[in-house]
Amino acid sequence: MVTEEAAVRAPSGRSLHVTPLVREGDMVAKGEAVACMRHAPDVCFVAPIAGQVARLSLLPGRKLSEIVLFREPDGAVRQHDPDQADTTAGLRRLMQGAGLWPWLRRRPFGGMPAHDEKPSAIFVMAADTRPFAPDPRQAIAGREEDFSRGLAALLRLTEGPVIVCQQAGAPLFDRGADEGRIRTITRGARHPQASAGICIHQFFPAGLDAPVWDIHAEDTAALGTLLDNGELPMQRLVHIAGAGLRDARTVRTHPGADLRQLTQRIVLPGPHELISGSPLDGHLSRWLAPRHRQITVLPRETARRRPHWLVSALTQSAGAKPAIPTAALSKAFGGALPAAPFIRALSAGDDETAMKLGVLSLLEEDLALADYVLSETGQLTAQLRGMLGRIRTEFDA
Amino acid sequence: MIRGLWNRETVALMLLAAYLPLALFWLWLGGTGALAQLALAVLVIGIWHLVFMLLRAQAPSLAALTTALAIAMLAPEDLGTFRLVLGVSFGVVMGELVFGGWGRNVVNPAIVALSFLGFGFPAFPWPVFDAPIAWAAIPAALIGVASGAMPAAVLAGAALVATGAVLTGLLPEQVLLAAGIVLVLLVADPVTSAATTLGRWINGALYAGLVTFFAIGWAGAAPVQIAVAAALLTSLAAPLLDEAALALWVAQRRRRHGRT
Repeated sequence: MVTEEAAVRAPSGRSLHVTPLVREGDMVAKGEAVACMRHAPDVCFVAPIAGQVARLSLLPGRKLSEIVLFREPDGAVRQHDPDQADTTAGLRRLMQGAGLWPWLRRRPFGGMPAHDEKPSAIFVMAADTRPFAPDPRQAIAGREEDFSRGLAALLRLTEGPVIVCQQAGAPLFDRGADEGRIRTITRGARHPQASAGICIHQFFPAGLDAPVWDIHAEDTAALGTLLDNGELPMQRLVHIAGAGLRDARTVRTHPGADLRQLTQRIVLPGPHELISGSPLDGHLSRWLAPRHRQITVLPRETARRRPHWLVSALTQSAGAKPAIPTAALSKAFGGALPAAPFIRALSAGDDETAMKLGVLSLLEEDLALADYVLSETGQLTAQLRGMLGRIRTEFDA
Repeated sequence: MIRGLWNRETVALMLLAAYLPLALFWLWLGGTGALAQLALAVLVIGIWHLVFMLLRAQAPSLAALTTALAIAMLAPEDLGTFRLVLGVSFGVVMGELVFGGWGRNVVNPAIVALSFLGFGFPAFPWPVFDAPIAWAAIPAALIGVASGAMPAAVLAGAALVATGAVLTGLLPEQVLLAAGIVLVLLVADPVTSAATTLGRWINGALYAGLVTFFAIGWAGAAPVQIAVAAALLTSLAAPLLDEAALALWVAQRRRRHGRT
């Protein structure tokens, strides 16, 4: 399902300085670059649909905010030359020019990898345990060949292993001549077992000088298709769910899709909020974020009456209340790390202990479940972001 | 956005639910005297929580009730109102409230209060528990573990060592009963017991080991006194156990992955 409007947005993480390559009113083909990074012009952001550039909004400092496109029914499709991927440098150039680079994410610190970064390992997430997440197996069903080709290409980007996280079931790819560097790990069905950060923490922790990338299995298959016929497929399997809907559904749409159009006919009457991502770690948005595969619709909470001053004093007078170490909290980290000492290090701002316990492998989405379990509204994720920012300025300037 | 359940007050409520069988049996056997003691402890702790809320904007917690129950059950008998108020005040203020309230304390306030009363007024007899109350500690532990509010590894570690001590005949029955109640009320506290799994196993085992050690070597001590002293030493050792367990965990990861 292709929406009438779509937007190109920067992946989450640090805001990015870009150079726009189009002007308002220009026609663009599907897959054509609309902006590139100012300091790394190889890395492009591409149009997910063919259409006309409707609005180009940049933040101060020429940081990308969003580029909105109107669909044209019979637009062209941008073709790339798959032969240039014969060398590793060519493969990188192809991935960056075709707009696949923003679908990668690096740890530590998150965000898109730098254009010349060499990862120590690449995790391919063929499992997703977040609530209401679509099954990646279904997303790549029938595309096993593309998936294997994508894996082989990822293998050329790193000297370390390529680790496929999957749930129990049939093997997803043909184990051929992979030099033994493609490993498969099987994860359980409960969140956060297949959370990328928890997997990375357990099997190949990221370090300051050992970045680890992760990419979704469907995007790996898309890379395989790009290498086969030179066209980057934009389709992705997206699940729409939530308490604000009449019925949930799974659609194939594209990054930057218009959430209003996708949910228009299935929302319940009354005010609601559209969230790109899962109910745990998503954010309010009108457009589907570059790496998201879920749309959550929740009824909007009406503003409650202010409680009596004594009730406020009893419940909200102090700042954040301490987290009590319970079994629920340990389970929120999948038993992968000592939860209580980690939370204490995080809330005390103890960077060194947190680094020992593995904070460099984690991002906001991995702590979202702990935030939910502790009934906080984003305190832990905010503390994590602050800590990662501090570590970045201190050690990784 | 959606929010889960397990904030501080939910955990306090779950602990209260776990202590309910213990409290009911104790009140049933103790009658109005026990009820009056509990009411006094609740009143004093409530006043101190109110004072800290008004002076330091520190939100009170339902955990005050669990502290009150522990102190009322285990405090020496016939202390009189003044001494009890003094002991409860010292324990709650110095053991919990000055650190920032429940969840930030390093020792259980009830342990501090009971140790204070034990050291301060050694002439008063410690309570003796009948078997039914001690048996009620078992459902309390089960509820606590099932709801996840009590650390299962602490209870398991203590049970393991205690079984060994009973089988070898080192642990008399009266001490075992008192130690079981103190284990549930004071040692298996999610905040002040060790926070790592290995640390918790050692924490429980250390408690049972100390109880056995005191039962053998501390002549003339009452069973509850032995258990409270062991609980105090264990909770003081808990951070050390955690530190050791974390160092071990970090070393293991470093060996496996080359970094942490």
